[in-house]
Amino acid sequence: MAAESTTATDEERPGPTDDAIDVGRGLDALDTPTEQRTPLWKRFLTGVVPPIVAVVLFVVVWQILWASAIWPEFKLPSPEAVFGTIGQDFAEGRAFDIIWTSISRAVLGFLLAVVVATPLGLLVATVPLVRSAIGPILTGLQSLPSVAWVPAAVLWFGLTDATIYFVVLMGAVPSIANGLVSGIDQVPPLLPRVGFAMGASRSQSARLIMLPAALPGFLGGLKQGWAFSWRSLMAAEIIATSPSLGFGLGAYLNEGQSLSDMPSVMAAILLILIVGIGVELLFFRPAELRVLRARGLATGP
Amino acid sequence: MTATLERHAPEPRTGPPALDVRGVSKVFGTGQDAVVALDGVDLSVAPGEFVCLLGASGCGKSTLLNLVAGLDRPTSGTVETTSARPAVMFQEAALLPWLDAGRNVELPLRLAGIGRAQRRERAQELLALVRLEGQADKRPHELSGGMRQRVALARALAAATGLGGEGKSREEAGVLLMDEPFGALDAITRDVLQAELLRVWEATGTTVLFVTHDVRESVRLAERVVLLSSRPGRVVREWATSTDTDAEELHGDITGELREVISAHGR
Repeated sequence: MAAESTTATDEERPGPTDDAIDVGRGLDALDTPTEQRTPLWKRFLTGVVPPIVAVVLFVVVWQILWASAIWPEFKLPSPEAVFGTIGQDFAEGRAFDIIWTSISRAVLGFLLAVVVATPLGLLVATVPLVRSAIGPILTGLQSLPSVAWVPAAVLWFGLTDATIYFVVLMGAVPSIANGLVSGIDQVPPLLPRVGFAMGASRSQSARLIMLPAALPGFLGGLKQGWAFSWRSLMAAEIIATSPSLGFGLGAYLNEGQSLSDMPSVMAAILLILIVGIGVELLFFRPAELRVLRARGLATGP
Repeated sequence: MTATLERHAPEPRTGPPALDVRGVSKVFGTGQDAVVALDGVDLSVAPGEFVCLLGASGCGKSTLLNLVAGLDRPTSGTVETTSARPAVMFQEAALLPWLDAGRNVELPLRLAGIGRAQRRERAQELLALVRLEGQADKRPHELSGGMRQRVALARALAAATGLGGEGKSREEAGVLLMDEPFGALDAITRDVLQAELLRVWEATGTTVLFVTHDVRESVRLAERVVLLSSRPGRVVREWATSTDTDAEELHGDITGELREVISAHGR
């Protein structure tokens, strides 16, 4: 047993020797994971250029289809007419009012949804009885299009802002609450155990261990919650139109339809899309990337 | 062939045990499905002593460790510890992935309500003790498995000893419970970490209760090896080691007895 006699002689020396320390340092150097960051120009080339090319191609195809005059002008306006409408709306300042009306509602509705959904999610995640009682309903509500709530809300609240906010809440709350629940469910059970073994009280464990550990799932829920807020708001604004409700993007879209003004309709759709994507790219994507990168979970650039 | 152990001669130990387990039984489930994990276990560990709990799977060694850690309650019997709360280290490092190494080590001090400056200083000290000086701002995913386990050791020491400091008695040096902490590491890293653990143990005077199923590991590390039987877990035999113990012979002895205990289940 040649191998064993070597280890045995090593063990004869009391305490770690210089040699053992060197081995330890060598292991540290060898085993430390190396993080490879792609250079900025490469990330720009793979992340920013392709979507721009896709959009340009889309507009080119659109222009060709329009030029070939397969459909009449009132069905398929030229890109120029649509972008012209958007440009004019901005030049007149009207676009800012319309977008602000919708965004301020969506943001306020989203924040309300966060305030309602966070304690709800915590309750469902931590109290088994509550989970078995309303957990399935909460999941089911996620697949119910929130536009279905518009008629009910109009009957309950009339054509007021309450109707709009109700629909937004019904759209966003289930997503945010479910995100928090799955975030908490995915916390490795060892973490709260370690916390308890270190003497964490229940509130310390919730604040310092469970909530930060559930953050990636919660952020995912928030992101989805925003998307649902935005589309619920649009559904509500398109269906429930009234001078008392102000003039948002949904009402703008609706007006385009009533006037058979296709460039306006397409301009409205484009603006709705741009705002939805813009908020995600400006707020949710960076927050999510930061959280995931700090935990070594980020994939891709 | 003789091979003595790498430890220094133990100092004579006086005073009440750091950890006293009396007639502890643990039953999981009820009725016909009940499983007796532990049956009348007595174990007393002196302050500053290094004891290995050895046994095959299902011997309830982790259950016993959980009882001592206060993570679970015994069905009958008592568990007493002198230190307020023994620190626990698991097979996984279980570091909080959103905190850097320094803040992970600080966490038990933070939970105890110790101010930021003091706990940061202590974390630096402990990281230096496990040879991770200058790595305090690394996140767990930027460290190797062995380094993560050393951060976990530093954190457990922070939990066991608080702010530490000079002139503390053995009773105040804390109790460290380790549940196969090197089980998931490769052989070379495990070997290095075993040496590190012995060095840290000698430097701090902490009481260690170390669970393993590896006979060689237990002989190398412990001053006393306690063999548990499986289902129900009972203390079968104990071996004391000292500096002039023949490691190979002891290893043979313990392995023989362990094989005996395991074969009893096949009959």
